[in-house]
Amino acid sequence: MLFNSLTFVVFFALVVALYWSIHGWKLRKNLLVSASYIFYGAWNPPFAVLLFATTAMDFWLGRQIAKAQTPPGKRRWLVASVCMNLSMLGFFKYGNFLLQNFQWLIERFGIIYRPPHLDILLPVGISFYTFHSLSYTLDIYRGVLKPTRSLRDFVLAVSFFPQLVAGPIVRAGDFLPQLVNPPTLKVGQFCWGLLLMTLGLFEKVVLADTLLSGSADHVFSYPGPLVALDSWLGVMAFAGQIFFDFAGYSACAIGAALCLGFHLKDNFRFPYAAIGFSDFWRRWHISLSTFLRDYLYIPLGGNQVRPVRATSNLVIVMFVGGLWHGAAWTFVVWGLLHGSYLVIERVVRIFCTDLRWLNNPIGWAAGGVATLFGVCIAWVFFRAPDFAVASRMLSGMFGGHARGDAILSTREIVQVGSVVCGMIAAHWLLRDSSIEIAVTRLPRWVIASTWAFMACAIIFNQGHGNAFIYFQF
Amino acid sequence: MRSSISSFKKRLRLPRLFFRKPSREEEIHGGPPLEFMRPIPPVPWRGITVAVVLVVLGATMAWEVYCRSLGYGPTLNDNEDLWTLRRRHVAPESLVVIGDSRGWYDVDLDEIQKGLGKRPIQLSMGGSCAYPVLQDLANDQTFHGTIICSFVPRLFLAPPGTPPAERGEKAVHRFHNQTLAQRVSEYLAFPLEEHVAFLNQQDLTLDDYLNKLPFQNRPDALLPPRLPPYFGTVDRERRARMIQKCAEPNSELAHRIQQIWIPLFTPPPPPSYIPEEVFFAQMNKAIEERFRDVTAAVEKIRARGGKIVFVRFPNSGDLKALEDRDTPRERTWEPLLKMTRAPGIYYSDFPDLAGFNCPEWSHLSAGDSVEFSKRLLPHLRAALGM
Repeated sequence: MLFNSLTFVVFFALVVALYWSIHGWKLRKNLLVSASYIFYGAWNPPFAVLLFATTAMDFWLGRQIAKAQTPPGKRRWLVASVCMNLSMLGFFKYGNFLLQNFQWLIERFGIIYRPPHLDILLPVGISFYTFHSLSYTLDIYRGVLKPTRSLRDFVLAVSFFPQLVAGPIVRAGDFLPQLVNPPTLKVGQFCWGLLLMTLGLFEKVVLADTLLSGSADHVFSYPGPLVALDSWLGVMAFAGQIFFDFAGYSACAIGAALCLGFHLKDNFRFPYAAIGFSDFWRRWHISLSTFLRDYLYIPLGGNQVRPVRATSNLVIVMFVGGLWHGAAWTFVVWGLLHGSYLVIERVVRIFCTDLRWLNNPIGWAAGGVATLFGVCIAWVFFRAPDFAVASRMLSGMFGGHARGDAILSTREIVQVGSVVCGMIAAHWLLRDSSIEIAVTRLPRWVIASTWAFMACAIIFNQGHGNAFIYFQF
Repeated sequence: MRSSISSFKKRLRLPRLFFRKPSREEEIHGGPPLEFMRPIPPVPWRGITVAVVLVVLGATMAWEVYCRSLGYGPTLNDNEDLWTLRRRHVAPESLVVIGDSRGWYDVDLDEIQKGLGKRPIQLSMGGSCAYPVLQDLANDQTFHGTIICSFVPRLFLAPPGTPPAERGEKAVHRFHNQTLAQRVSEYLAFPLEEHVAFLNQQDLTLDDYLNKLPFQNRPDALLPPRLPPYFGTVDRERRARMIQKCAEPNSELAHRIQQIWIPLFTPPPPPSYIPEEVFFAQMNKAIEERFRDVTAAVEKIRARGGKIVFVRFPNSGDLKALEDRDTPRERTWEPLLKMTRAPGIYYSDFPDLAGFNCPEWSHLSAGDSVEFSKRLLPHLRAALGM
């Protein structure tokens, strides 16, 4: 079920109305579990069974980890949980990718093998709910979480519908404590939740789908060479599209959760105003970057090891981050590019200890532009379906096609230029602030008119019910 | 021996607070302190929300009145989900209409039902190539019904990867992969779209308004031709009818659409990145492949006892001249009938079908579509041996 669909509007209205009209907390939680499984099952009912099976398995494994008396015993159960989750992810998401690469590899040794193409349907949001569930057993193993006694609560923590299919990645440790005491209906919180949902839908339906996606799709699907202006605008359009699409989903998820009395953390913090790549990753898909930091980077030794090891740790983490997004080498290159950016940034920090000269508006702007430039180069690999398209795009961006084609209309150029410039300006204006602080400072009439404008734009624009980009991950 | 947990604590350098005595919540769930609460901006939310609801309601009503004043009426939006709903109605012996917008506008379902005894299921789509749908019906092992296939050469022979072919492929893909949520959304949309004019997605979206902005394009920009504005309504059976504003004599809307058809039906120049001769060779190969694929699909349907008839629906004016010049029947229509060994009805071959005029050169008015369907029936019966 998509947030930008009529089905969701009706579904959400019914769930909210029922939820707040029921008095028993257990009944309310049961309602949320049922609603979450309907939300997921409306896409493909059999995969709801898979979701429940992996959740129940992790619930049981979490208890075994806690019960085990010795560290090796705990480790064994943790390994079982990690293997179970990753093999599920591996089969559904990486099955064909692994087979194709295996085929390619053995062909290097002269062995011809034609594996059958596995007609595997990818369960929507599997990467997200696997990480929701995995965080539970990992935290129990790390000793920062005790196993919950209630299977129902754990099922709800994993499958809570606002964040189920496209994040943010909510750790069980952040969600389970919220299931102890029933939340009370607070008008401010409820209305703020509705405003966040409107903002999220506006970002998705109006900004991402209507104003940016057409140009990005047009440029990336064009089979011929393009002039630099069109190539850059296509990439900038995609940079804006993916932000508004994913940040829009996160805002909807946070807003929907607030309407039900739950608090989810921010997933984005104005990332296109980042100065440096470590800053970018503190602002972009925060729930994934902190997940990888806590469960992969730190266990590998983090930056508390020799510089060479710390560098390789960074690259490994970004490699995994890239692969998490999709079973394709273009995603791996995207991850490795970000890994190398982080390494370069670290090297610069090591050798240039005195960076005070950069600490002024010109330095910030230069750092911001350089970061955005690197991020956009990496987006080319994220968006391109293969390396041929990526190399054609990069060649176009750097003037390799002097006699390339111009395919964007002036209207599209103005549209992409103004939306992207507006987005970057808004990120810089709010970079050290938050949307809550910004709203608090605004006059009441501005809040009301902006909210009404966004709602009208969604209603009048209608949208085409396009799926969110991150659903495929 | 140091436990892994204590070394972990050391590594993380967590604050002392993190290890304080757990609260009741943490005792039960063992979670970290529940420190995170989203801040809620302290503003008068009740008043703001009421104001927003009133403004949005008022603006929506004003927008609806404005759209109706421009001549827009409520209509269902023809999309993959509506098509899928009709596709689900196809039974093994159904009578199905497939193809492009001429088969969509020019066939009256009531008349065909009266004449052939079966209510046709309308699966034609505007600007679409018939082949993906024909192939899907051919691959449906249960289907052995009758197909009326509209033939507009430029659309029917559109190679894979072009918009007409993709339109059909998307619809077929949606039919095979439609989720429950998408299905429910379509049913929920019916009552809204049948009563609210501004939900018309053909002309009234933000994208359409932005497209109308008078920007001068770069002289060398390769831009796709414009698509026609709204000129028809669709009902739950996907029966398309031309609106009166377009059908009336000397209609400004019809004139505007006529000028859109010409560039849309004019073959685009070969792309700059492929040598001209290679491009034309590829196009010819794609056309031959299409004829072969269609023949194979027709054979499959025929082998199960199904029938198919190709119909060339009327066109008029400069568009007819353009189509006759660029896609003459001896290079398109005749090879198709020869290869498939299927019957065909070319409207201009029959005096009773040839006298119709298309107001915007491509489709019949709603009234004429009824009369045309009535006159088409004896020809259909003869072609299908009914």
